[in-house]
Amino acid sequence: MLPEPFTPQFLSQLETFRLRTRKEFLGSHPGSYSAPRRGTSLEFADYRKYSLGDDLRYVDWGIYARTDRLYVKLFHEEVDLFAYIFIDASASMAFPTVEEKFLPASHIAVALSYVVLANQDHVKLHLLQGSSGDKASPFYRGRRRIADCINFAGSLKPAGSLAMAQALADHLRQFRRPGKAILISDFLVPTVSYQQALNLLRAFNLDISVIQVLSRREVDPSFPSGSLALVDSESQAEIKCQWDSSTRKSYQARLAQHNLQIRSFCHQSGIHYSLYVTDRNLGDFILATLPAIGLFK
Amino acid sequence: MEFLNPIAFYGLLALPLLLVPYLIRRKPRRVIFSSLLLFTEISSRSSGRPWGRLRLPPIFFLQLLLLTLLILALGEPVFSVRPNKIAIILDNSASMQALEDGKTRFALAKEKARNLLADLSVGGKVDLYLTAPRLEKIAGAPFAPSDAAGTIASLEPYDLGESPVDYNKSLGQLAAEQRYDRVYLLTDHPVRSQSGTARVISLGQPKDNLALTSFQVRRSSLANSRLEAAAEVTNFSAKDQRVRILLRGSGAVLASRELAVAAGKSASVVFEGFPLHPYYEAEIDVRDALPLDNRRFAVPAKSRELRILGISPRPQAVASLRSVPGVSVDVIAPADYERTDRSGYNLEIFHFSTPAVLPRNPALFVLPPDNSLVELARPISRPVVSSWREPHPLTRYINFTLLRPSYARPLRPKVAGEAIMESPDGPLAFAVESQGVRHLVLGFDPFPYLGRENLPVSIFTLNLLDWFFESAAGKETPTGELLSLGVTRQGDWLVTPKGEKIPLKPGQKNFPQTFTQGIYQLNRAGERELFAVNLQDTNESDLRALAPIEIRGETGSPSSSSAFFSFWPYLLLASLALLLLEWFINPRMARLGLHSSSNRMLSRL
Repeated sequence: MLPEPFTPQFLSQLETFRLRTRKEFLGSHPGSYSAPRRGTSLEFADYRKYSLGDDLRYVDWGIYARTDRLYVKLFHEEVDLFAYIFIDASASMAFPTVEEKFLPASHIAVALSYVVLANQDHVKLHLLQGSSGDKASPFYRGRRRIADCINFAGSLKPAGSLAMAQALADHLRQFRRPGKAILISDFLVPTVSYQQALNLLRAFNLDISVIQVLSRREVDPSFPSGSLALVDSESQAEIKCQWDSSTRKSYQARLAQHNLQIRSFCHQSGIHYSLYVTDRNLGDFILATLPAIGLFK
Repeated sequence: MEFLNPIAFYGLLALPLLLVPYLIRRKPRRVIFSSLLLFTEISSRSSGRPWGRLRLPPIFFLQLLLLTLLILALGEPVFSVRPNKIAIILDNSASMQALEDGKTRFALAKEKARNLLADLSVGGKVDLYLTAPRLEKIAGAPFAPSDAAGTIASLEPYDLGESPVDYNKSLGQLAAEQRYDRVYLLTDHPVRSQSGTARVISLGQPKDNLALTSFQVRRSSLANSRLEAAAEVTNFSAKDQRVRILLRGSGAVLASRELAVAAGKSASVVFEGFPLHPYYEAEIDVRDALPLDNRRFAVPAKSRELRILGISPRPQAVASLRSVPGVSVDVIAPADYERTDRSGYNLEIFHFSTPAVLPRNPALFVLPPDNSLVELARPISRPVVSSWREPHPLTRYINFTLLRPSYARPLRPKVAGEAIMESPDGPLAFAVESQGVRHLVLGFDPFPYLGRENLPVSIFTLNLLDWFFESAAGKETPTGELLSLGVTRQGDWLVTPKGEKIPLKPGQKNFPQTFTQGIYQLNRAGERELFAVNLQDTNESDLRALAPIEIRGETGSPSSSSAFFSFWPYLLLASLALLLLEWFINPRMARLGLHSSSNRMLSRL
């Protein structure tokens, strides 16, 4: 049985979408995404001079009439897409609870997977935890494999710390086919760390999208006023501070600046970026926000 | 606006304590957060302080206002209008001569009194009172303010101890009877609380002081003609002192001596072998708060012998004392006692008799009929002296196993005193000393004086004569006491220590106005007689902590209610309203999370 947001109506709405890529990839089977190779799709690509043996059906008789030369029309090849969805499964994704942050993040991943599966493309889920890349699903294809996606996403509990670049590098070591990479994380890591990770994905010629997931309590913390010892959920490091309205404002300003840096870096690097605060409606985010940023077409 | 209880304002000093809970950094609450990446800068800003950041929520100011209102209410504020009829009571006791920054407390009191006159309404009247020798209105009152200012300027303090007055009762009574709008008492006593009508204005601060508390010049013993002067210095301070004592005779320095006096204790010094002078003066060479008690005066005994008045139905027995050297005895019958002039006698011996009232002179009572001092028990013969005070001047050199009077009646004391000799049936000798006057009661008859023929009794008799001589020779007249002048005639006069020459009326026996310490000189029929008068109240010298005056309740007259509008109950009501407001707001703020940990601590308190 599918979890709460995946109602038949929601699924049918997802089926109307297709992942949009800004790059062309070599697929393994015919599909609906254009590949750099010439093929037999309906999408015109180029002309070349006729040579013996060419199929006469592709001769452009109009050009021949005007120039008295034979040219053959070339078409793009349309192939299937390989999508890689990376989900941050570090301990910070379980704050304040798994239900409030990690679960919505995994639901986004599942929804994106369903969009891919519904188009008969390939999707592979990767869980980012620690610095190893051993937690990845096989490639799924066909909408019936959505149950496997859900099972895989629900099989792990967020825990431990995350070295984002190392974990990604480890996952990409077995990487064979380029495609669409979607990174879902809270991005509460140093700037250098996430920039290194995204640059790594770019180096593998992937079309990258980033979805930042934050809980409401991270955006607007409501600690009791007074002296606090804040403990990092991943490293267990502790710092002391006096919490009051001015501290709260300072934190929110710092968070806004941090998010702006991520957005700005993504914009400069040609990466789709979107922020999801988990108290928002998930359906609205997937059906309205993601198409708006150009993730779907 | 005035405050009836300004001491309450010391409570304002405690207000900063309200900040303490807000300053204390309590153990921080542990909170787990997803990532501390964005907190590092914030934390480094706040963790650099050793104390918690001073965060003052609105509730703090509410609490501050509440406490301030409470303290104001405790200060008992009143609005007052200009009074019409007031009484100013000036404390003119000896301690008001203490110096405060070069001015005496009495001078400060006079300044304050003049300021009070300025607050009077047009046509207002003032009554002036002095507290010493008793609380009494100054003649000529009521005064107009201008006249009162002139009278106040002419007032001087007396060298007198303070009369015991219950100011709480007296001031209220005065205000009620005389219908004063206000009664002001200007004194050096601290004030604890006061009412709207009766106002106490306190002057001066507690001070350390050294005082000459005793000075006597006498013959060293009944049989010895050498003079000796004994002075006692008391240290009314918390640290040990060394002082130099000067002995003067008729103004010329005769001797000086260093003396160490421990804190809160007395020390004595004895000068011997100095020439005879009409009068002597002892002075301690210090600059302390009260110069008055740094000097004392003494006059040596006029006669070098002990003059005894015997009152006895058996004159021969008492007259036998004439055989003792240095003793002169006059004997009268008990019936003649009241008619006899007793001035000039150093000792009165009541032999089988007793006066109607105790004499002012030292007295020996031998088997007296029942009197105010003792009752006599059943007679016993040849009693054994089972115990005696030792060491004591009366019991020295006596072999009590040999002292066996043939007839005795043990004594049943009625007053507090000292049993000098006791038999198994009760005391045989009982001594009472009050205000420097010694009385001795014997339950046996030591007379007649038989010299060597009855040695134990004779030694006892000589001891008691010496004991009385010692007290008679060193008798001082305290200020405020009557000066016994004897018989005066037309043309006699008295010169006071201030140099005032006061003519005496014929037959005037006493001079009452001994308000100044010093030598009084009586000129009688061309002969000069000197009297030493000294301040005799150590309470006046002890300036460390005078008894506070507390006026309880409203003591004013009905007319005085219009002079005041007391609004401290309204302040108290406002405080209660604030308290309710705080009680209402505080839990809500806590619920909203606007409440600091300090507040929680306060609310828990």
